[in-house]
Amino acid sequence: MLELKGVTKIFNAGTVNENVVLRDINLKVDEGDFISIIGSNGAGKSTLLNVIAGVYPVDRGTILLDGRDITRVPEHERARFIGRVFQDPMKGTAPSMTIEENLAIAYCRNARRTLKWGLNNKLREEFRQKLAETGLGLENRLNYKVKLLSGGQRQALTLIIATMVKPKLLLLDEHTAALDPSTARLINNLTEKVVLQKGITTLMITHNMEHAIKMGNRLIMMDKGQIILDIKGSDKTSLTVNELVGMFEQAAQRKFDEDRIMLGARS
Amino acid sequence: MFGLMVTSLEQGLVFGIMALGVYITFKVLDFPDLTVDGSFPLGAAVASIMIFNGGNPFLALCLATAAGIAAGCITGFLNTRGKITGLLSGILTMTALYSINLRIMGRANVTLLNSRTIFTYIEEWGVPHRWVFLALFIITAFLIKVLLDCFLKTQIGFALRATGDNPEMARANGINTDTMKILGLSLSNGLVALSGALVAQYQGFADIGMGIGTIVAGLASVIIGEMMLGERTICMATFATLMGSFIYRLSIGIALRLGFAATDLKLLTTVLVIIALSTPKIRNLLRSTSSTVSN
Ligand SMILES: Nc1ncnc2c1ncn2[C@@H]1O[C@H](COP(=O)(O)OP(=O)(O)OP(=O)(O)O)[C@@H](O)[C@H]1O
Ligand SMILES: [Mg+2]
Repeated sequence: MLELKGVTKIFNAGTVNENVVLRDINLKVDEGDFISIIGSNGAGKSTLLNVIAGVYPVDRGTILLDGRDITRVPEHERARFIGRVFQDPMKGTAPSMTIEENLAIAYCRNARRTLKWGLNNKLREEFRQKLAETGLGLENRLNYKVKLLSGGQRQALTLIIATMVKPKLLLLDEHTAALDPSTARLINNLTEKVVLQKGITTLMITHNMEHAIKMGNRLIMMDKGQIILDIKGSDKTSLTVNELVGMFEQAAQRKFDEDRIMLGARS
Repeated sequence: MFGLMVTSLEQGLVFGIMALGVYITFKVLDFPDLTVDGSFPLGAAVASIMIFNGGNPFLALCLATAAGIAAGCITGFLNTRGKITGLLSGILTMTALYSINLRIMGRANVTLLNSRTIFTYIEEWGVPHRWVFLALFIITAFLIKVLLDCFLKTQIGFALRATGDNPEMARANGINTDTMKILGLSLSNGLVALSGALVAQYQGFADIGMGIGTIVAGLASVIIGEMMLGERTICMATFATLMGSFIYRLSIGIALRLGFAATDLKLLTTVLVIIALSTPKIRNLLRSTSSTVSN
């Protein structure tokens, strides 16, 4: 469904600061895949998702979504079929607009926006139900401004926004990294629930190896702009953190740096 | 005193239409648009030259508004397609408009004292002379306010607000933020030009220098309104802008009565805006030093 062929991204090409961030990436994602992506700092994980979302153009290669070449489709057009949640809880919502207004914006993601009212009671009822499912108590605060919400509440809201209209692809960039552990767990559970319930094809970056192993059906590890590991199926189900570290060291030909990647409980 | 109130109300409303335009760019779009210093006299120039030559003043208002929309469009294109910063885009359009306005008028000022303005027509419909300005301005300003409130609650209105509030989120939801910026700037400058066209007929002349300081006056209105009434809802914020415009004109009227020269007013306004702009910052500073550092 999503296919990257020879995708290369170079920042500051032709200057002393030239930085090849994605090196000839080939990746084939199947319908319904839930892929967790891990890798050290600067490995190019965020850039990979940004390139798929169209935030910046690629230098080489093509990106196909459902067989359509989207390499040159602008970001806002790709947004019609790609949902995103960012690490920064501030990024995914419009803070001085209300919860219901934020949701109403997401509701029109795939449609032509017109001079019809952005909200009506039928929509409000629908939003209320969606919010109630999250168990965060937001369903009674439809007309609260989003800036009044906590980081966790905002991430939950962003997740609903990103999946309001079922996207072909959901991109999650460390969307629980800024949250405290219990809120992170809550958002992770919500993520799994939404993704599995709707069968959304998902790419999720995480710094938590345990989450990466536990969640999803496929795990990709990146290093220095390349995909160095791609584990799926039963190999992934039986994977342990220790094994993963070992595989990293073998593939990357260097010691594993624990600085930022959280190992979780080492088994 | 009654006279001062009425005059301030008239001025507050007619300039309030301009302030609503400034509200769109500064508050909704978060775009510091200086085009208004050029689009205000643009509206005045287009309308007054038409009226001076015997044209229909209602048509003149429409054309003035259209000219303002075009000016806003140009700033929008410079910013989004030309990748020029918002501030500079506005300055460029404003500067170009100075020459254009002179071209349109053909001279530095046009007097309308002997022409049939929109007010002549309304008086002929039987509105007594002393109420004609107030009547028209109340209806126009509030009609525009209500239309703007409604627009900002439509799907497109939401998209416009999201573009100003969080462009990243807007794009992630399929909104073309460039288009929205151009739309917002056009709307805003259309209103500013309409205001200019009405002001020219109200004061009986258009002058090439009448746009200087428009943006500061508009900002002053938006900020004063916000300080007085807050901005909890859109309906409230637009009303506050009109209210702020009235208070602003009233304070200028009072300043004039206190013996300030008309030429000192720009300085006074600027000081007023600086105080208004820095008050919340000073307040925040005091608060944040006593608790934790705010971001
Ligand atoms: N917009 C940009 N302009 C220039 N360089 C960039 C830009 N974005 C990222 N980079 C560089 O690209 C490299 C990869 O960045 P990227 O954000 O993709 O890494 P990451 O794997 O997501 O790392 P992290 O774990 O820290 O989030 C880094 O060296 C970064 O400095
Ligand atoms: Mg990253």
